[in-house]
Amino acid sequence: MTDALYTVGLALLQSAGLLAAAPLLKTVIKKMKARLQNRQGPPILQGYRDLSKLLGKESVRSETASWVYVAGPRVYFAATVAATTLVPVLMAAAPLEAAGGILLLVGTLALGRFALATAALDTGSPFGGMGASRDMTIAALAEPALMLGLFTSALAAGSMNLGVLVRGLLQQGPSFHPSDFLALAGLFIILIAETGRIPVDNPATHLELTMIHEAMVLEYAGPDLALVEWASALKELLYMTLLVDLFMPAGIAMRAAPGAILVALLAWAGKVFVLAVAVTVAESTNAKLRLFRVPELVSISLGLAFLALAIRFL
Amino acid sequence: MTANVLILCAAGMLVTAYLMVGQKALFTTIRLYGLQSSLLGIVAATNALSDGRNDLWVTAALTVALKGLLIPWFLMKVIDRIGIHREIEPFLNVPASLLICLGLTVVGYRVSTGFPEGTRGASHHLIGVALSMLLIGLFLMVTRKKAITQILALLTVENAVFLVAVGVTSGMPFIVELGISFDVILAVLVLGVLVQRIVGRFESMDVSRLSKLKG
Repeated sequence: MTDALYTVGLALLQSAGLLAAAPLLKTVIKKMKARLQNRQGPPILQGYRDLSKLLGKESVRSETASWVYVAGPRVYFAATVAATTLVPVLMAAAPLEAAGGILLLVGTLALGRFALATAALDTGSPFGGMGASRDMTIAALAEPALMLGLFTSALAAGSMNLGVLVRGLLQQGPSFHPSDFLALAGLFIILIAETGRIPVDNPATHLELTMIHEAMVLEYAGPDLALVEWASALKELLYMTLLVDLFMPAGIAMRAAPGAILVALLAWAGKVFVLAVAVTVAESTNAKLRLFRVPELVSISLGLAFLALAIRFL
Repeated sequence: MTANVLILCAAGMLVTAYLMVGQKALFTTIRLYGLQSSLLGIVAATNALSDGRNDLWVTAALTVALKGLLIPWFLMKVIDRIGIHREIEPFLNVPASLLICLGLTVVGYRVSTGFPEGTRGASHHLIGVALSMLLIGLFLMVTRKKAITQILALLTVENAVFLVAVGVTSGMPFIVELGISFDVILAVLVLGVLVQRIVGRFESMDVSRLSKLKG
């Protein structure tokens, strides 16, 4: 009984921590991007202010909206939060790792995406439908690439369970295989595509004919919008944590000792920051791709991930 | 440690070769080639450090200076002068090319296990990556129309051969390496001039037009 309580407590603590950190990550990337363009950028707490402002407003909904529209952001938010409990962050064990591994993680994220896309279709506005169909087009390619990339690491550690996987990688020590690098390159493209960063989608603009994610959520306002934005930021942090776990696991605590946890926290923050810098540079040095070229980019990552898996066997 | 760095660089070279196939902007392709050559330079430097062989330092420096910086700079200048920046329509579209390159990599890796050196540790990956890059380079040469891309494909093949020479064998005699380096420079210079002549005559870099008669 106490074991179960401990697990639930840990899961709540981890998802709350990630939820708290997610808006900060988004603002930090925005800030770094602004500095690269010689602008001042938003203050570092802007992400929290935006969320609290949106949460304080009344929600405005279209007259034609049904329950699907109301459920969309909630399911998206819940699915993303649930997904965070399946990933090891500070300790080499995910809080709810007994529930499932890679497949459950990908499935949970897919559920959230499905909920948001159907909700975007619900009001019948042209932008929503356009955004949903575009998002799904990209997801159809990105999801298998994500799975193949994750399988590559799973094959190295001999388990599909992320907790067991990270423990295996830590025990092996720093060993290197070309497939790690290929999978990292593939998953980095997926990170960019799934979080709507620049070569794929532009997170900074509204009402542009090429937008994807923003088109989907154009109908939302107030607390509904806050949930979507928060969940999107959380998803970005989740993907980055996943990359850090699989390819740079050094520093993750093997025991629940306060010192080790503190080291793991600093290591995690540092590694996520490095990834954030990489995303910022990728965003600042590339132009947005034409929509019909996006599947080409994502199919590169699919190819890289498949190659990584193939080389494991050869 | 040495093996890890070697494998990391080899994998990076394979990724750059793969990305060269995956996109069409000529400037990016040239930058990718520069990156690839710099990684080759790191391979040479790593071997120089671990084996204590001083002549490999010269190889590393030559590789980075000539292939990493000089050749990309020269090719970019050629493109700037011609004003053609994109590979508009290759014979095969990008997803199909990528699929074929996947198959070529699998073949390259599979064949590499046939070599006596090819079954263990780092040299298995080095030979596998080199053979894959060789095949990808040849494939790129056959399917692309622009003369600049074909030059870059040729240079990729040359990088692949160099990777095996530097990474797996104990290296070539110094004078041979010098000879090869200057050979490459000369080839690129001649091809660069040739490209400019082709563009001057045909108003295009498309080599498939060379089969048409022009008075």
